[in-house]
Amino acid sequence: MSSTKRYWMDLGDLHQHPEAIKGRENEFPQDLAIDQVLGDQNFQGASTGRRDFLKFLGFSLGAATLAACETPVIKSIPYVNKPEDITPGVANWYASTFYDGEDFASVLVKTREGRPIHVKGNTRFGINHNPKVGKGSINARINSSVLSLYDNERLKNPMHQGADATWADADKAISDKLAAAATAGKRIVVLTNTVISPSTKAAVAALKAKYATVEHVQYDTVSYSGLTNANAKSFGSRVMPSYDLTKADVIVSVDADFLSSWGSTTEHAWQYANRRDPNGAMNKHFQFEARMSLSGANADVRVPMKQSELPLAVISLHDHIAKKAGAASVGGSKAEIDAATAKAAEALWAAKGRCVVMAGSNNEGVQVLVNSINNMLGNYGSTIDLAGHTYFKQGDDAAVAQLVKDMNAGAIGALLIAGVNPAYSLPNAAEFKAGLGKVGLTVSFSGYADETASLCQWTCPDNHYLESWNDFLPKVGHYTLAQPAIRNLFNTRQWQESLLKWSGSTQSYHDFIRSTWEANMASRGVMGLFADQWNQAVHDGVYQAYAATPAPVTFAGDVNAAAAAAKQAAAGAGEWELVLYTTEAIGDGQHANNPWLQEMPDPLTKLTWDNYVCMAPADVERLKLNMYLGEKAPASLVTVKAGEREITLPVVPAPGQKAGTIAIAVGYGRGENGEKVGKAACITDHNGEFKPVGRNAYPLAAMVAGSMSFEVLNVTVTPTGATYPVAITQTHLTHMDRHSVVKETALGVYKAGDKSAYNHAHELAVHEDVNGDGKINAQDKKSVLEFDLWEEHPVEGVGHRWGLSIDLNSCNGCGACVTACNSENNIPVVGKDEVRRSREMHWLRLDRYFSSDTTKESAKADGLGKIDMYLKMEVPSESPKVVFMPVMCQHCNHAPCETVCPVAATTHSNEGLNQMAYNRCIGTRYCANNCPYKVRRFNWFNYVTEQFGEVNPAWDDLGRMVLNPDVTVRARGVIEKCSMCVQSIQAGKLAAKKAGTPVKDGDIQTACSAACGNGAIIFGDLNDKNSQVRGLATSDRSYHMLEEVGVQPNVNYLVKVRNVEEEAAHHA
Amino acid sequence: MHSEAAIREPLILGHKTYHDITNDIVGPIENKAPKGWYILMGIASLIAAYGTGCILYLISKGIGAWGLNKTVDWAWDITNFVWWVGIGHAGTLISAVLLLFRQKWRMAINRSAEAMTIFAVIMAATFPGIHMGRIWMSYWVLPLPNQFGSLWVNFNSPLLWDVFAISTYFSVSLVFWYIGLIPDFATIRDKVAKPGMKKVYGILSFGWTGNAKAWTRFEEVSLVLAGIATPLVFSVHSVVSFDFATSVIPGWHTTIFPPYFVSGAVFSGFAMVQTLLLILRKVMHLEAYITRKHVEYMNIVIIVTGSIVGVAYITELFISWYSGVEYESYAFINRATGPYWWAYWSMMTCNVISPQLFWFKKLRTNLAFTFFMSIIVNIGMWFERFVIIVTSLHRDYLPSSWSMFHPTWVDVGVFLGTIGIFFTLYLLFARYFPVLALNEVKSILKVSGESYKKEAAHHHHH
Repeated sequence: MSSTKRYWMDLGDLHQHPEAIKGRENEFPQDLAIDQVLGDQNFQGASTGRRDFLKFLGFSLGAATLAACETPVIKSIPYVNKPEDITPGVANWYASTFYDGEDFASVLVKTREGRPIHVKGNTRFGINHNPKVGKGSINARINSSVLSLYDNERLKNPMHQGADATWADADKAISDKLAAAATAGKRIVVLTNTVISPSTKAAVAALKAKYATVEHVQYDTVSYSGLTNANAKSFGSRVMPSYDLTKADVIVSVDADFLSSWGSTTEHAWQYANRRDPNGAMNKHFQFEARMSLSGANADVRVPMKQSELPLAVISLHDHIAKKAGAASVGGSKAEIDAATAKAAEALWAAKGRCVVMAGSNNEGVQVLVNSINNMLGNYGSTIDLAGHTYFKQGDDAAVAQLVKDMNAGAIGALLIAGVNPAYSLPNAAEFKAGLGKVGLTVSFSGYADETASLCQWTCPDNHYLESWNDFLPKVGHYTLAQPAIRNLFNTRQWQESLLKWSGSTQSYHDFIRSTWEANMASRGVMGLFADQWNQAVHDGVYQAYAATPAPVTFAGDVNAAAAAAKQAAAGAGEWELVLYTTEAIGDGQHANNPWLQEMPDPLTKLTWDNYVCMAPADVERLKLNMYLGEKAPASLVTVKAGEREITLPVVPAPGQKAGTIAIAVGYGRGENGEKVGKAACITDHNGEFKPVGRNAYPLAAMVAGSMSFEVLNVTVTPTGATYPVAITQTHLTHMDRHSVVKETALGVYKAGDKSAYNHAHELAVHEDVNGDGKINAQDKKSVLEFDLWEEHPVEGVGHRWGLSIDLNSCNGCGACVTACNSENNIPVVGKDEVRRSREMHWLRLDRYFSSDTTKESAKADGLGKIDMYLKMEVPSESPKVVFMPVMCQHCNHAPCETVCPVAATTHSNEGLNQMAYNRCIGTRYCANNCPYKVRRFNWFNYVTEQFGEVNPAWDDLGRMVLNPDVTVRARGVIEKCSMCVQSIQAGKLAAKKAGTPVKDGDIQTACSAACGNGAIIFGDLNDKNSQVRGLATSDRSYHMLEEVGVQPNVNYLVKVRNVEEEAAHHA
Repeated sequence: MHSEAAIREPLILGHKTYHDITNDIVGPIENKAPKGWYILMGIASLIAAYGTGCILYLISKGIGAWGLNKTVDWAWDITNFVWWVGIGHAGTLISAVLLLFRQKWRMAINRSAEAMTIFAVIMAATFPGIHMGRIWMSYWVLPLPNQFGSLWVNFNSPLLWDVFAISTYFSVSLVFWYIGLIPDFATIRDKVAKPGMKKVYGILSFGWTGNAKAWTRFEEVSLVLAGIATPLVFSVHSVVSFDFATSVIPGWHTTIFPPYFVSGAVFSGFAMVQTLLLILRKVMHLEAYITRKHVEYMNIVIIVTGSIVGVAYITELFISWYSGVEYESYAFINRATGPYWWAYWSMMTCNVISPQLFWFKKLRTNLAFTFFMSIIVNIGMWFERFVIIVTSLHRDYLPSSWSMFHPTWVDVGVFLGTIGIFFTLYLLFARYFPVLALNEVKSILKVSGESYKKEAAHHHHH
């Protein structure tokens, strides 16, 4: 070995391997003719001419310019240590619970890279879980709640008198003041919505243990005081019972919108849907109401009645049943109301013990009568469960009213407010506000500087529920848990933890819940390791501890006194009767700042971004107000006056509204005094003013007979003469008797089994002898499917063919699918002005059709001309039947959009999907024109700009966090539409591939099908012979919308069957 | 030399010599433009500038600047497109078809009609461009080799056929027009005194010598181009009509569209020629060349095509009833009685009823009335396209999606702007180009000139 130190490049170099040497020589090959070229005489003599110089100059300038065009690279830092449970690109789902005092649901929260981006119903557990379809029922407010997590107007720190403070300061100051109040013997009131959390109640108790003057007042924004008080009087327990609609053959609802706002709606919805299956034992639903509610729209028999007639209807029902049961009648109804309720009473009596009567009234007397009816029908213990009652709606209006009085009297030392916004929602908000000034310490736990919080001395912002631990007890024995899906985004703290802190505990709320549970389980003698049970409960989100023990029910109510009270409630009706209600989107107003909800069209009026006066079309005509609303057809404004209080709102003609009554939604008009209540609660209106969306209608409510009444039986309605632009997504009311769009029939016709009577095939007469009778005549017909211009896509039996089946019977029109789609597919929110111009971007819409008195058949019978017939068919009936029809891209196998795109930006996948390549789209919109279903949406503007920043969550950095990273945010100038959640399909296929198994039916769900716990939207593989969707698609009720156009969709609908006696109107 | 029957009305009035013709046509180019030209040019270019501004605003903001919505995705844009393409039909029809049919009366009007065609097609082509959501990607409609893999245009799409049809039509029309201009440019070159102008027209005339060989070739090329252009006259608007006819939308899905669109196009094209020529003739003192007879001939074409269009309208109505398809039936009842009834009846009045007045000779030879009617016809034809596009779309299959279309100021601005740009181009043409095919007109002077005809008759008499 040489002693000279030698450096070598690699082993080849060290050992002087011939290959290595050769390779090294190739690095600077000597045998190329470079020298010759460079040494060439001519080359040396060449000079750069002016032209060449300019060429070089141009090239280098061009090159430099192009180089400068490179997209800026944002350096992302990967995880140094990958968190155990986060794989980029793979979603994690956490079981949790949504409860806000209004809605309750066991949910699953989808997180991506640590961000919650989607909420759906719990697919295995919970009272909202539908075992028949394996999905959890939710509503639009629940799945939209994920967006409010990312609202930039959420409070980011504790606040003291409007300025940021620290938790340490807050804790000290508040503890001191609480101590002072307690020492002075002044009352410390914790004012909350109905608390169904055992641990929260324990936390309040802990505070009470520290300060003896603590008391807990519960306030339901939408009050059920009358109902719970009635139950106290009738059965001795002041509760909201639990209803089991799966056992109800007959449902009679007097103004109870049980599918949307009354009681445990997420539970009612799936129970009801399961009994709407015409192949099973279909229930029969009667609804008596003034305003067309969502439940009323689903009813088989809907009887419009004035608000003042509804208590009489309950009396009348009572007496009908009492007569049959041999009980004493109470009397006092009217003959015409007796007649109107007779059929319902017959049906109830025939289904004794298998029926239910519900009433929406908050009048104690009315509810006692309803209890008596249900008692006579033997419904307690079957459809109504008192022993296994819910814990919802514990609020006490009388206590709240007393609190306001006491505040003004200076009797309250401290007021801690959580989950409610009385300065906004109390009719006597002015008194409340005045009283607030006389309370020694006012603390709000609101996440926003809202109407109440902005008046409190301290605001100790609560976490968003997706950042929180909590437990719930919605029903006897049924516990659920909420777990955080993300760390606190801001410097907020759960309000229960604040209570614990002020009560001197150092425990976190999480530990507190655990210890509460542990103690609870121990006290009930539950065996096994607590940690395991706890982990399982967190995993499931639900812990079914025990079942309620059925107990005999004895009705102890005084029906005569109740009838007197009911009659009292019906008295004093004036020319106009007003009923306040909550909409499916906005509810009681807590979520008014949620742009998805504001832009969700109302199921019935299809109006967005406003509240309004619902008025019967006959009344609209009588007052000569604007009947037809649209982009350039604004609504007329009226002033509604209830006593001293008044409100000016646009009038929307609402078919089905009883003439002489009007309805106004509460929950709007948030932030009237400039409070920062959240992103979309205020928008810039048509006059360029930054104003709340809608007007606050809560001040019109009033205390009647000790409970809050949303009915005002004597109001005046005065047209102002002015108009107001409204944003409606569906301006046309009826389906124009188009049977290939909507098919409906009566149960009897369906049961008779002749498919052609309710779902006839579309056939065309051809000039050949099809039926082989030797003659060519009009009887020779072929199915429209046999006529085709284009080559067949090989769809049948080849690979997957994804499809949706939509059951018009199970769909109640709630709209949860619409917001679920918004959330999954990053649908831009475009704001009122764009919606007014019919430019909403929803990929999935709910078409709502009212029936008309005029049909093609009736026109023929009446000898109407075609022109008159069409004009009359545009007018809905006075009391119309309603069809809700979810419409998304129908993924046609012979898609008309695909043939017309000049650049082939929309194409067909070999799995039956109609695909959109946004990158390829140049925006001719020809496809949108040629779509018979009008499901294609165009990006008229760049919606991710400041212009739309007020409403579009994708604009600000925080709101953007809600976007689904699997779905592109579409640019200006391209078409978009339903992709059948192709990202979920791909993920599902990938999972199956990795598992080495075929895709299992039901494993892949679209956002809409997952959101529909009612089973109205079923997704699956049409080529899988055993799939549910295949079964539905080949069932007798299945039809394709506009089948005769020949586009052969992969989405099919199931004929709507109503449980009515009359013959189906349909036949074309 | 051909001789013509004495009873045929002369096509060139008064006593004109070859020199007179040259002077009449080239004179205005040599001399300073009249005041009226500057006024018209001022107005036209102002409107053009405003329209250009609107187009730039549209492109910077997005298509939402127009009044379109989820249901009506085309409205004024494609209405204007079809309207301008239609107008662009008359020029080539006059020069090519009438050339093949040896109609001498075409010679006085073909030049300006062709210019109108070129400018109208340019205006038409603007709309498919600017109506795109992403105009910067508009080149994707061309079947160009690209780096996107084997990404090709969709040959099934009628919009793609449009691209080919319009571009072919435009190029052939342009070549045809320019070939015809060459001898006339040469005449200008030979006549003008200013060296600058001489040079420019020299270049434009491509070294035309005017020898017999050149004239023979000229005639041959004209004939060949006429042969190529003639089918295009019929194909372009047929293809445009396919945009609608091949769709599934009631009111669009109609097999009679190709002939219906072509006759409508000729109808509106001739009306536009009338509008322009009646002004031109007055302003440029071309009464001797563009005579009442020319106007009458064109009015006859208008009655014929207008009647074809009328029959087409009635056929559509009949078929909508006869087909028994409820959507089809509703589409047409809705046109006539729905919210856009006024558009339908404007169309009917302007296109079907009013041209019938031309059956009266007194009216069809009345210049003022003709001018008025030419405007009416073009309003009617604009409404025809609006009716087809908007009233079919706004209420199609699903009543849930029915909507209305309301134009915005940008819709109006862009449309007016194209009229402004069109007139600006036309005025520039009238100022700097020979507005009549002067050498061709010279070729019929001895046959169809009034004084020569009289002379011939006189000779014959003796």
